Amino acid sequence: MRYLIEHETVLEYPRTVREHHIELRLAPRTDGHQQVISCSIETEPSAEFASYQDYFGNRVDYFCIIQPHNRLVTRLKSEVETLKENPFSFEPVPPSGEHEWLREAIRRAPPMNDFVLHRSLLTPSAMKLAEAITCAFPRQDKDQPLLESLLELLAWVPKVFEYRTGSTEVHGSLVSAVRQGGGVCQDFAHLFITVARSWSIPARYVMGYLDPGISQVGEKLATHAWAEALVPGAGWIGFDATHNLLTNDHYVAVAVGRDSYDAAPQRGSFKGESSGEQPAVTVTMQEQQ
Amino acid sequence: MNNVGIPGSKPRTPYHEFYADDFTPRDHYRLLWDHIKATGNSALEAKAHESQLALQAEGVTFTVYGESEEGIERIWPFDLIPRIITAAEWVKIESGLKQRVRALNLFLGDLYGEQRIIKDGVIPPELIYQGRDFRREIVGIVPPRGIYTHVSGIDIIRDEKGEFLILEDNLRTPSGVSYMIENRVIERRILPEFFNKYRVRRVEHYPSLLLAALRALSPRGTAHADIVLLTPGIYNSAYFEHTFLAKEMGVELAEGRDMVVVNDIVYLKTTTGLQRVDVIYRRIDDDFLDPLVFRSDSSLGIAGVINAWRAGNVAIVNAPGSGIADDKAVYPYVPDIIRYYLGQEPILNNVPTFQMTNETDREYVFDNMERMVIKAVSESGGYGMLMGPSSTPASRKEFMALVQENPRNYIAQPVVYLSRHVCYMDGELEARHLDLRPYVIYGEDIEVVPGGLTRVALRKGSLVVNSSQGGGSKDTWVLAE
Repeated sequence: MRYLIEHETVLEYPRTVREHHIELRLAPRTDGHQQVISCSIETEPSAEFASYQDYFGNRVDYFCIIQPHNRLVTRLKSEVETLKENPFSFEPVPPSGEHEWLREAIRRAPPMNDFVLHRSLLTPSAMKLAEAITCAFPRQDKDQPLLESLLELLAWVPKVFEYRTGSTEVHGSLVSAVRQGGGVCQDFAHLFITVARSWSIPARYVMGYLDPGISQVGEKLATHAWAEALVPGAGWIGFDATHNLLTNDHYVAVAVGRDSYDAAPQRGSFKGESSGEQPAVTVTMQEQQ
Repeated sequence: MNNVGIPGSKPRTPYHEFYADDFTPRDHYRLLWDHIKATGNSALEAKAHESQLALQAEGVTFTVYGESEEGIERIWPFDLIPRIITAAEWVKIESGLKQRVRALNLFLGDLYGEQRIIKDGVIPPELIYQGRDFRREIVGIVPPRGIYTHVSGIDIIRDEKGEFLILEDNLRTPSGVSYMIENRVIERRILPEFFNKYRVRRVEHYPSLLLAALRALSPRGTAHADIVLLTPGIYNSAYFEHTFLAKEMGVELAEGRDMVVVNDIVYLKTTTGLQRVDVIYRRIDDDFLDPLVFRSDSSLGIAGVINAWRAGNVAIVNAPGSGIADDKAVYPYVPDIIRYYLGQEPILNNVPTFQMTNETDREYVFDNMERMVIKAVSESGGYGMLMGPSSTPASRKEFMALVQENPRNYIAQPVVYLSRHVCYMDGELEARHLDLRPYVIYGEDIEVVPGGLTRVALRKGSLVVNSSQGGGSKDTWVLAE
């Protein structure tokens, strides 16, 4: 599929701010699943851009606005081609060898440790999570292929909580979302990641976009979030726990990380009075012919 | 950088730096001993008084926290009887520290690069990936010439046999060097005749060594090296030192709010406009250095400075991310780190250390808590530790729970008896325990300043030397060949 994505973020400040530094993780990735045809970012006030690739391989575009301002707009426009794939078309590793396959993958690439070891309020320890949930904690049967276990986990997540618009704050804790019985796509992704890590499977957070024709959450379109787990023989496979779906060519990935904090689309620091301004985000995603 | 002992229940006698036995001084102390005997206590009293006046006049102070919110400024406690290190002893310390600092810098370059040491199974990945001070934000950035720790302060103690052991590496913003110099200034004034007789090596050139190392890092070349000492401000316990070093080096002393980054260039805001900054000697922790990438609530740092550093437009000293190499949980692996990168045996050994992530070690420590020091890995200055000998059953139980909850966060060491030295205390010469922090500058090459800060536990029997916990200090004389 070919999509045109536009993503606008407006921040307004009651009093002027200055020396404003901003980092954006907004440019879609180019990887085996998708290719970026075009990508441009503009800001108001205008600024000079620089970029680098962060630790997780995300492209970061950054800029600063030194002079006083009380409004900051960033606009991304990008065209992306996604590839149709069959997520099951890979040479599976026998269940008895899967954990060894993962251990070897981690040994070869030590940064992969992060996706197993990382714990935070967003992706807590299994123990902390188990205390919060009322249903049985999912188990991974050693004789079962890991992909099957992960698919069961995918179906299990929506039993823990339901989708509630705006029910949790961005970067809130997963345990509090579970206790409240409702969350947004980030919480669904974090819950999936937390359980997968407790099984020693590398799992990471993905921020991106989902075709509004597929999305069932039906509200105003914004960024979406899902999880990726490292599957022996296959590599990273995307799991959208919000929709109980494996990701496909209706998904456009932007940034990955250990949790949503690493993959935040916009991060800034300024001088001036902060009053907890919330950004106004508008996203459109149109299929191109 | 702390150690404890069990007064009154000593299995072995601590090493005495000054005396060979009850009646005889060691050879290198004889000259001083003869003088003290000849002039008597009243002369010492006069010298002690003189040194006290000089410290007050110079305004040499430090700040103690905990007693009140704001901290209390105190006159630096100085003991007039110098600690003497022979040329032969110094050769070992110097070569051992050079070896250690070289290996630790190679280690940092590897951690923030290929991570061969993890791939080769020499250190467990959990150690790094669960370490609070492994900074993912700087992975892939290579600082000039691969040097991370331009300034190190390494704590050395002496065990019962007189062997020098490394107690702790301080690779972030080690402090105390100003007191090393002030101690020397005072000592030269009150015992001037001994400096030639003893052929004491100089330490006063430290600021010029540091300045040369900083200048050499300027991205615009040494001809254009505008240097700033970045301080967290007047409430920091080391603020005296920040002003001292800035003045001695002739560089600007500034806080984060005095600087701004514009399109990857760092500037100091001056009365005549923005002035480019080439080198930042920062005395604030990574956490507070850049609110854009580290702690977003920090108002002490400079937003955008990490991106300016990545772009190669500014040097930051010590390099961000250095803290993972002096993490106390990494410390037990330093001998292996030296072997791995240099193919050499460590010249200076570690204090034996138990790792709380290891179940056998942990059980042993829990069974012997009264004889152990347990330390939180990311604390320093004598905070976050259990001193076994003086602990209560309740505090031991509390620490046991803390260790079990987060074993990666703790290490334990058997109590080591720090060596002792004579000190002039209220009219008497008395033995007190001490350690040594030499300073290592990594510029063109690695240089260890011959001397250091000798810290003394002023309370009788105490082995806690931190100035924040009631420690004092001595001038440290390293003798020329």
